[in-house]
Amino acid sequence: MKKSWKRVGLGLLTAGIALSLVACGGGNDKKESKGDEVTVDIFQFKVEFNEQFKAVAKQYEELNPGIKINISTVGGGDDYGAALKTKFASGEEPDIFNIGGPEDLTTWEKSLADVSDTQAAENALEGTTNAVTRDDKILGLPYNMEGYGLLYNKKVFEDAGIKVEDIVTQEDLRKATETIDSKKEELGLEAVFALPAKETWITGLHASNTFIAPEFDNDVNKTYESKALDFTYNKEFKEYIDLMQEYSVQPTNSLDYSKQMEELFSNGLIAMTQQGNWVYGTIEEIDPEFAENNVGILPIPVDGVAENKIPVGVPNYWAVNNNSDDKDQQAAKDFLDWLYTSEEGKKVVLEEFKFIPAYSGFDTEKIVDPLSKQVYEYSNAGDATGWVFMGYPTDWGMNVLGAGIQKYVSGEGSWEELMDDVKTSWEDSRK
Amino acid sequence: MSAKKSWFYAFTAPVVVALFCVVILPLLYGLYFSFTDWDGVTVNAFVGIQNYFDVFKDEGFRSALWFTTKFSVVAIILINVIGLGLALLVTQKFKGSNFLRTIFFMPNLIGGLILGFIWQFVFTKAFASIGSALGIESLQIWLSTTQTGFWALVIVMCWQMSGYIMIIYISYLQSVDESLLEAASLDGATSWQKFWRVKFPMIMPGFTVSLFMTLSNCFKLYDQNLSLTAGGPYNSTQMVAMNIFNTAFAQNKMGYAQAKAIIFFVIIAVISLTQVYLTKKREIEV
Repeated sequence: MKKSWKRVGLGLLTAGIALSLVACGGGNDKKESKGDEVTVDIFQFKVEFNEQFKAVAKQYEELNPGIKINISTVGGGDDYGAALKTKFASGEEPDIFNIGGPEDLTTWEKSLADVSDTQAAENALEGTTNAVTRDDKILGLPYNMEGYGLLYNKKVFEDAGIKVEDIVTQEDLRKATETIDSKKEELGLEAVFALPAKETWITGLHASNTFIAPEFDNDVNKTYESKALDFTYNKEFKEYIDLMQEYSVQPTNSLDYSKQMEELFSNGLIAMTQQGNWVYGTIEEIDPEFAENNVGILPIPVDGVAENKIPVGVPNYWAVNNNSDDKDQQAAKDFLDWLYTSEEGKKVVLEEFKFIPAYSGFDTEKIVDPLSKQVYEYSNAGDATGWVFMGYPTDWGMNVLGAGIQKYVSGEGSWEELMDDVKTSWEDSRK
Repeated sequence: MSAKKSWFYAFTAPVVVALFCVVILPLLYGLYFSFTDWDGVTVNAFVGIQNYFDVFKDEGFRSALWFTTKFSVVAIILINVIGLGLALLVTQKFKGSNFLRTIFFMPNLIGGLILGFIWQFVFTKAFASIGSALGIESLQIWLSTTQTGFWALVIVMCWQMSGYIMIIYISYLQSVDESLLEAASLDGATSWQKFWRVKFPMIMPGFTVSLFMTLSNCFKLYDQNLSLTAGGPYNSTQMVAMNIFNTAFAQNKMGYAQAKAIIFFVIIAVISLTQVYLTKKREIEV
């Protein structure tokens, strides 16, 4: 009797170990596709268009029997990067995933397939694939184009008697700001600006980009390869930050995106704030009429650099996984091609996703919202500068410059210290 | 005897195996990674103890560690004082004491992230409104300065954890033998004396447990930190856990972050073991 108990005990022990070892080791084998069915796993980060994207995938599945599109979405910058790494580490590699720029090319070097043989790559607008081209290989296909500047409240400008065309230099901007500030009460404003210093991507990436891009000829690859940063236009940058800080709703260090856009701008409590065409949906949710008629985009003036231009760039790219089966890779490329070059696909991209297309062959008359339209017009007229912040050292823009600006606006550090810090940190990470 | 032993193995095996899989193995794996330049995708080189040297030169990590220590000291003291105070309050015999227990414990049932966002609203909106209505400048700047960020974290942490610690103290307070208290009363002890001379020594074990729990929870805090201040302004309210996470996932330096994590682990282990050893010594056997 005793002995048998012992056996049971040992049996359970071994069974337990075996079970947990199996559990630990599991999950490595990828699902085999049945027969001719090909499954394309997409792992993407744009939460805003998740539903529309799933709908379009369904449409594609119906048109192409035997192909299954599997979409999973994880939102946000850092979270997406972390989740993607987890996916790869666990062996469940997606066939299509997102990359941001030169930095990601290095990180995912071994997993990026050359997509230059696709129709979409051919149709991509001039310059939109520069950031993901390495050794003559195009490793990503642009999502869309986005642009930003100073969003202004048209009605406030009108009532204050300010013409946007007159604002060309930083001096003009300051004068306009002072004029509005003096009539603040009548215009029903809380302040002229909202400087969301809490959102380090707004200050550290977007704002700084305007003043750093000229130094690198608007070239993201040049930025990425640069060992040092001169910050030639740092005086101009300081003036821009100072102006906003002085006339902003306070305290700027806890002013976040939601307060900036939803509470202040959309309710007409501020006259200007720096944002891009992607906020259209947010404004529309609060006040559709305001969004439709009352929002304009004003280029951020930088003295000494070509005037009246706004930075337009590609926020994200589709990458095809090089490690997937050839069959899967081809299916992935076909899907992306269809999305950006077929009539059905183009319609969805323009009208459902509300994208500013980064490809030729689109009927751009149909761009729905006025903000995107304006951005597209700037881009089309050649009045666009580049997005180089994807070429900043990892985390430099947000965590070093953005956090440094927080310190500066709170009066804890001087501008000179900030400049020294950011330059040293740039050099350190590019050693 | 041997059957008993088999049962012992049978029942402990699942736990041991699970513990091995999810704690020991990752720890060893992590230790290995801390000697490499792992970026989350590939290990390019074995860098020896270079990562550890770098940690000591890392100003961000040092200030995060200092901030975490300051926060922990203040929060641990306050949580335990408030927790014990609440426990004494609700163990008095009065109507509604059970109801109050539930109320005090409730914040603990809300997840840290949500709690952080709720309090963020309280600090930036409610405080600011009160501040502007009464003309108090200092109420309008919550979460935008290091000082207010620090106290906001302390307040939220106390609010969340005091109820939990209260439960622990209640259980020890209730196990204090009534006869001891009666004897003390007969000897003419005041209620203050009864608390300090009789109750307090009797709840020392509870003190050990509570101190340990608050210590490790405060040091490892991440979620409230993220949702309340996200480290801002200028990373001055960034705690160690967040510093490690950002190093790993925002800067892509997984190996380096792992080295930080190992150092952090050693620090916490040393502090909590010392604390348990010291407070255990003061416990008395009845």
